Amino acid sequence: MTKLLITEITRMGPAFCVIGLQREKEKIRSVRPVSATANSWLHFPFHRGDVLQCDLAPFSGAKPHIEDRVSTRGFQKDSAVPEPEVVTYLRKAEFAGSLPELFRCVLHENRNGSGLFAMPLEPKRSICGTETRNLRLELRANELRATLVLSSGEVLRDLPVVDRDWRDFIDAARAEDRGANRVARLEQFLNSQFHYKILSCPYHFIRLGLTRPYHDLCWLMLDTLFPLPKQEWLEEF
Amino acid sequence: MAPLQDENRWRPLVEECFRREAGSQTSIPDSAQDLIETGVLDSMGWVSFLRGLESASGVNDLGAYLTEHTSSFESIFQAFQGAQAEGHSLAADSSDAKQATARAPVIIASSCAVVGSRAIPSGEIDKAFGMPDGKLRLRAGIESVAYAAEGENELTLGARAAQQALHSAACGAQQLDWIIATSETHRGYPSLAAQLHSHLLARENCGALDVGGACLGLLNGFAVAQALIAAGPARTIVVVSSDVHSRIFTPGRVAGEFGGLFGDGASAFLLCATAGIVPQHAYTLGEFFFGCAGQYAGAIRVAQSADGNLDAHFDGEALSRAAITRLEKVVREAELRSGISRSSLLGLATHQPNPRLVRLLAKQLGLPDDKFPLVAQTFGNLGSSTCGVALDTVLQSARSNHPGKYGPIFMASLGPGLLFGGGWLIAA
Repeated sequence: MTKLLITEITRMGPAFCVIGLQREKEKIRSVRPVSATANSWLHFPFHRGDVLQCDLAPFSGAKPHIEDRVSTRGFQKDSAVPEPEVVTYLRKAEFAGSLPELFRCVLHENRNGSGLFAMPLEPKRSICGTETRNLRLELRANELRATLVLSSGEVLRDLPVVDRDWRDFIDAARAEDRGANRVARLEQFLNSQFHYKILSCPYHFIRLGLTRPYHDLCWLMLDTLFPLPKQEWLEEF
Repeated sequence: MAPLQDENRWRPLVEECFRREAGSQTSIPDSAQDLIETGVLDSMGWVSFLRGLESASGVNDLGAYLTEHTSSFESIFQAFQGAQAEGHSLAADSSDAKQATARAPVIIASSCAVVGSRAIPSGEIDKAFGMPDGKLRLRAGIESVAYAAEGENELTLGARAAQQALHSAACGAQQLDWIIATSETHRGYPSLAAQLHSHLLARENCGALDVGGACLGLLNGFAVAQALIAAGPARTIVVVSSDVHSRIFTPGRVAGEFGGLFGDGASAFLLCATAGIVPQHAYTLGEFFFGCAGQYAGAIRVAQSADGNLDAHFDGEALSRAAITRLEKVVREAELRSGISRSSLLGLATHQPNPRLVRLLAKQLGLPDDKFPLVAQTFGNLGSSTCGVALDTVLQSARSNHPGKYGPIFMASLGPGLLFGGGWLIAA
């Protein structure tokens, strides 16, 4: 039986990916529970901060997703920890302050357009936490993208945001029942209050991940952005 | 559905950027086809495609016009139309590069390049920095470097280049409206531009302006000069670059793998507003574009430490990768923006971190090596003057070796940051 603190729930298309922290003696490391048949979950009724009981078996998944473990039975909620505490644990897990250290490999620039990628066999891990000096979210033709500067001063642009809560928040902000000019209002929020709310938060923290190999490349993405969005923020714009 | 007004003007640009993203073998989709829904592009590819379009068209917020629209060519054409209605001028409007330059007709009336008087074989540099004999030649392709002799410095080299450029155009220093200087090594006051002003005996009301950007400095200087001429009464400007690395990147202060690459040199370009009469062999400045790829910020950093020494961080491998990727991207962007095919170029005046990388860049671009003047191989990396010496070499060859055949010239350079910039010149 393993206790897993859920730290990441990401959404791409209809499926969710889940990552949690597992304590092993004095070490805290990231683990990604997958089912025996798929890398993602179509239904995952839990939240970040939930501590789940589960059974995980080793899984020889494709590099660089060395954190994959097969969940051999259902999840059972044990307890929950508040958001700031989740970040405290995340800071003790995989962490890097500069681009080459994130996945301990070379990250390449997309020669044709935007984005960064790694060659699948090179990264030593597929998830890593980091601090940012600044961060901005923007909608690019319906797609949510993040631009951020690491504590090393290196800038990452156009990272796809796959954090489920943030994507749900953006979807909610764009819902038709929100009335006129909702995209413009959302953009105004992202350019103003968002910035203050995120950067002034004492537990602001992000985790970056690598996609599974797609056309032989693993793209960099923003897996998690703390603080998580609050429902009441929707009332502010 | 009837094509949008002006659709045909944007279509070649959209199709070219699409092919770059989706691959040259991918067939061009129907205008109304949703590229994401039909699986032609994924969301990464779609945003990447739009970034390419933004970059090539100069409409920097094209994506903003596309929110709540389908991911289709049709939406893109509508977005361009919307952007134009809001006053954007689109690079794609100009099917002819000459049209694009019509807004700011500035010519290079003359140019000159000089290098430090001492030619030092690279083996001696290896020795001075305590590296194995042949390292610079074998690893970087540097045969020799030009070092300033005693009595030479940024001012003397820059002034010599400027005076020669003025002389070639029969232009007196009193005709200058601005002196724009750039240097990555001059750190004293009065600034280099101010010292050049005095040295050249320019008019008192001739402006003197220093621009930064390290190896990108010359392109920054050109862009500023072009804007000054376009904006107001300025008609004649000399842009000068001058760098003396040999007194800063010395053995003991920096590693040989870094310091050994650099040489000393200067360049000067006399830029004039065209007034109907264009001198023979003159080139017109096209457009310039700039940016900063911050993901490479960690690859090179030079700072003064508290004890007065230089604290140089240089990740050669990362920098090489960044340099090639970015220079290639800049050249491709210049090609898209100008409508000038790289195969028609007379030459490329690019930054040359080292000769090996120049050859690699030529290979990546599918161009013969001789399109790139040999600057770094003989003189070393000259900082902001590398581009200048390369451009002067291409201009001189246009005048002497290619009478009547003046192909366009591309410029592309980089600076720590990673700053990047590019532009083009066409025969006037």
